[in-house]
Amino acid sequence: MFEKNTSEQTASEKTVPDDAARTDRTAVSIRHLSKSFDGVEVLRDVDLEVREGDVVTILGSSGSGKSTLLRCINWLEQPDSGSIHIGGQRIGVNDAGRPMPVRELAQVRARTGMVFQSFNLWPHLNVLHNVTEAPIYVLGKSKAEAEAHARELLEKVGMSAKANAYPSTLSGGQKQRVAIARALAMQPEVMLFDEPTSALDPELVGEVLAVIKDLSAEGYTMIIVTHEMAFSRAVSDKVVFLDKGLIIEQADPETFFTNPSTERVRKFLEREVI
Amino acid sequence: MNASAWHMLLEGAWTTVWISGISIAMGVTAGLILALIRLARIPVVDQLLVLYISLARATPLVTLALFIFLSAPTFGINLDRNVAGILALTLNTTAFNAEIWRSAFRNFSREQREAAMAAGMTPWIIFRRIMLPQMMITSLPGLINEMSFLIKGSPAIAVIGIVDLTRVTNRISAVTYEPLPPILVACALYMAAIGSLVWLQRIAERRANRLAV
Repeated sequence: MFEKNTSEQTASEKTVPDDAARTDRTAVSIRHLSKSFDGVEVLRDVDLEVREGDVVTILGSSGSGKSTLLRCINWLEQPDSGSIHIGGQRIGVNDAGRPMPVRELAQVRARTGMVFQSFNLWPHLNVLHNVTEAPIYVLGKSKAEAEAHARELLEKVGMSAKANAYPSTLSGGQKQRVAIARALAMQPEVMLFDEPTSALDPELVGEVLAVIKDLSAEGYTMIIVTHEMAFSRAVSDKVVFLDKGLIIEQADPETFFTNPSTERVRKFLEREVI
Repeated sequence: MNASAWHMLLEGAWTTVWISGISIAMGVTAGLILALIRLARIPVVDQLLVLYISLARATPLVTLALFIFLSAPTFGINLDRNVAGILALTLNTTAFNAEIWRSAFRNFSREQREAAMAAGMTPWIIFRRIMLPQMMITSLPGLINEMSFLIKGSPAIAVIGIVDLTRVTNRISAVTYEPLPPILVACALYMAAIGSLVWLQRIAERRANRLAV
């Protein structure tokens, strides 16, 4: 069984050929992406390729643009220039170069799944219905089919006992695990995690990271914005470092954490306890 | 009070209930539609709606009912007094309801909307499945407040000749020369109607507690 769960693993072990999910097809392609808020450039000419089955973690200080980059991928933020393709399909802009109609945009968005820092569960729906809502109303699945799949996913994230509970009765870690199941229910081609553990009490971080590690072992394509260095090292195929809106380093985790090529990353890593 | 007085009272109560009921239902729905249109910020239309809302909120109900009933023939419309009464109540309550709905829209969690967008939901699905069920519960205290104002303001439609629960007490006392008993019964009936609305509000509040994440 292919495992990426320990920080001791080396980069070469991570690319062993028996990883069936690994192909050379591009899951997400970002070209020349730029974005400003009120005249402040938060992303500057960002290029990034994510292959199918890869786990990419994005690191950087607060305000470096990493969350904005992630939110551009599913068009929750609209970039000022550049392009993003998901599974070969461009998001946000149609073939004629015009803004995509909302319906079409929604369809492309459905190819990605997103997990937010503050969980963003829908409080009027119980756990099971949080997971089945989009499959029923977006994918057009039958209620029975959606519920069967949702129960499988809740089992996977260890939340099946709480299927009928409402979000307000759950701990942060439990909410985040439900949010992961909700995103997986859409069978997305790529999972986007926006600081999934930053809003959690320290003792709850582990349970969420464990679920994400399991997903990485199953070959899911994932882009994760995080501050968890040990986690990033253990789970990534590629680590990306953003500084003031620029990608200043992209490397496999071993190179990144042991022999970074830029002074900026070296300083950043010195401040973090790995 | 004799049997015929009781009969008249109940008839008056029924008039108040059905006219208010229809006005409430139309006012809540129309208020939601106006709030949606206002959110779209369509030039000219938006200004017209703001003007309507300001006028409707500033005009006394009695004046509005009289205006509608008396001005209709000028436009060649032969308006039934009940229709005029419903129109006056609806035009008045819609303006207040539109503001209640609009504030529910504006305060709706951006995070929840983003989660819905990220899941590939279209704006219509987000509205229908995520926003509206929650907005109905969070807006209900305001809406019910407005409903009870409407019921308490409904005697204004007597000015155009509708015999509602308050008007009928006058008629009874004109015959019996005992004004107090019918008025006391009318008070009790108003309290029953508004009491049931408050009971509805309590249920909504209990459900709203669950929404507090």
